[in-house]
Amino acid sequence: MPIDTTDIERLAQILERSGVASIEIEENGQSLKLVMETEGPTVPSPALAALTGRSDGVANVAKADVAGIFVAAHPSRTKPFVEPGQAIEAGAIVGLVKIGRLYVPVLSPAAGIVDSIVAEAGATVGYGTPIVSVRSAA
Amino acid sequence: MIEILSVLGPASVQDLGRFDQYRFGVGTSGAMDDIALRAGNILLANDENAAGIEIPMTPFKLRFGRDTAFALTGADAGADLGGRAIPPWWRSQARAGDVLSLKAMTRGARSYLTVGGGIDVPVVLGSRSTQLRGQLGGLHGRSLQPGDVLPCTAPDSSACIGELGTEPADIALARPNAPAGVTVVRVVIAGEYDMYDGVAQDLFWRSDWKVTPQSNRYGYRLQGPAVMPISPVEKRSHGIVPGVVQIPPNGQPIIQMRDAQTSGGYPKIATVIEADLWRIGQAGLGGKLRFEQTLYPDALAAQDEVSAYLDKLRVNVRRLEELRRCR
Amino acid sequence: MTAPDLPRISLLGTTAILFEAPGTFDLPHQRRIWALAAMASKWPGVREAIPGITNLMLTFETPPRAVDSLVSALNDGWDAAQELAIEGRDIELPVTYGGEIGSSLQTVADHTGLSVDDVASIHAAPLYTVFALGSHPGYCYLGGMDPRIAIPRRQTPLQRCEGGSVSIGGSQTGVSASPGPSGWHAIGHTTWTFFDPSWPVPAALAPGDTVRFKVDRVIR
Repeated sequence: MPIDTTDIERLAQILERSGVASIEIEENGQSLKLVMETEGPTVPSPALAALTGRSDGVANVAKADVAGIFVAAHPSRTKPFVEPGQAIEAGAIVGLVKIGRLYVPVLSPAAGIVDSIVAEAGATVGYGTPIVSVRSAA
Repeated sequence: MIEILSVLGPASVQDLGRFDQYRFGVGTSGAMDDIALRAGNILLANDENAAGIEIPMTPFKLRFGRDTAFALTGADAGADLGGRAIPPWWRSQARAGDVLSLKAMTRGARSYLTVGGGIDVPVVLGSRSTQLRGQLGGLHGRSLQPGDVLPCTAPDSSACIGELGTEPADIALARPNAPAGVTVVRVVIAGEYDMYDGVAQDLFWRSDWKVTPQSNRYGYRLQGPAVMPISPVEKRSHGIVPGVVQIPPNGQPIIQMRDAQTSGGYPKIATVIEADLWRIGQAGLGGKLRFEQTLYPDALAAQDEVSAYLDKLRVNVRRLEELRRCR
Repeated sequence: MTAPDLPRISLLGTTAILFEAPGTFDLPHQRRIWALAAMASKWPGVREAIPGITNLMLTFETPPRAVDSLVSALNDGWDAAQELAIEGRDIELPVTYGGEIGSSLQTVADHTGLSVDDVASIHAAPLYTVFALGSHPGYCYLGGMDPRIAIPRRQTPLQRCEGGSVSIGGSQTGVSASPGPSGWHAIGHTTWTFFDPSWPVPAALAPGDTVRFKVDRVIR
């Protein structure tokens, strides 16, 4: 099914409300990327700056692969899945995306140290939204 | 197949229970938290009555003999699979040789392990539930021991299952204004309620009953003020069901649970509604319990609420499967 | 033991409904309960109709939205119920009275003012009828006990009573098929098998069967 203009409008709204810089969607061979335009010189968010600014190690970003609400800790627990400075394995759960009553995990693409929780707990996220940045050895 | 490596307390194979056998004195047995068992099975696209393992104590360890899709619901037991943390109310994929460890229950009293296709022990009198008293069902009619090997039904799909969690029942079905640290269960008054005067009835409703260490699948023995009838009551033996709250002459209520006897003669003050039985199953020893008076129509509404939660879960899981493939 | 003058009907939560018949604890009343059970087991929404001692419990398939019609059906059914005479089998059970399992034999003797030998022979004298099954797999509630050896149930139920125990609770008697909790007083034991899930009918005895106890031994 082709991505049509109403979808794009809705996605743009989500983008604006969530404070996320961009959303990228791939579906049936089509891809769509929406990027927020800010007034004045483009100032990357501190979190995104952290992603690109570091020189030691490789920056990996754990991204959401479904649209929903980002949840930093399991609903039964108070402690978030990960905290900055924490060492994690590849495939470790770094957060959840809540869709209705279900929770889809966001997994770390690499082993390393958690750099920062990029997404805000409770924010709406979409496919490709950065959730957590992980620094691994170069 | 599953090999039990270490186990404490009476862990047993349970499905939703054994019905239509009361006339032989055979009670229902079945999972103390039926909702957790159902939810695990729903996550795995099993028949909701597929048998799982009820784990009432930690530490508990098992090894998967084959690649197995599994779910862990009920109490949060700090589980990990080969060192990888498994969150509560979660489904995941185990590889052959993986060891699942449940370390400590921090929330709730019973965890449920379900597997794709279900635990494949023989059906006895219509159910795979273990009945410890009659020594029937489950694995040889007894609780699990280290070294036990449980066969699993091979599921329909051999595709690996994606990680997925669901809203825990204790959050989704949380009662409004529930006091912290007290499990509140709704009850419908029973036949002998009027044999207690207002003062005694008040004690029953207002007390925070302590769950004594003698509480188990047969019954939850509570400790608190003595609730005494106006005059001693000796009833002819009559049928009872899980949830019936009897008060023996010592005035200390006993909530008959899934492995309770099928009849008795102590006076019954009230019966816990079916929709709240699971809350008792998740109340730990030393915990506090309070009874809330409910009318029959409201008890039915509570049942509807539980059905709606499970229906929604079923629909959500199916819809999500249609959108995703295993990663 | 107390019994109502009119039938008493009460709910067991959302799981079952209980009908208690008025009148004495005797075979004619129990036969009417058997007749009511036979009727009620066919009613829509009823999972099982389980006789107790002059009472009947109906478990629900799914709880009915309104119980009024069920209450009427039970009252009407009871009024119409004719004694159902079930021709059962006659069983003789050898019993060792007293000893470790029958540890309450002295308690019953003390309560009744009789000697242990008298308690045993009074208990073994009647031809009992199986009124109902219940409590645990294969357990039979027997009718016909001599009221002279009646004793109220325990203050605090015992957590474990042995299988094969012959016990008294109120003016009722019965035999346990397996170990488990009990509020009754164990006065002896028998080694018979009452239950096996592999049998075509898992319970050895059924309502309407008759049982005679034979005094094998009295351990004082």
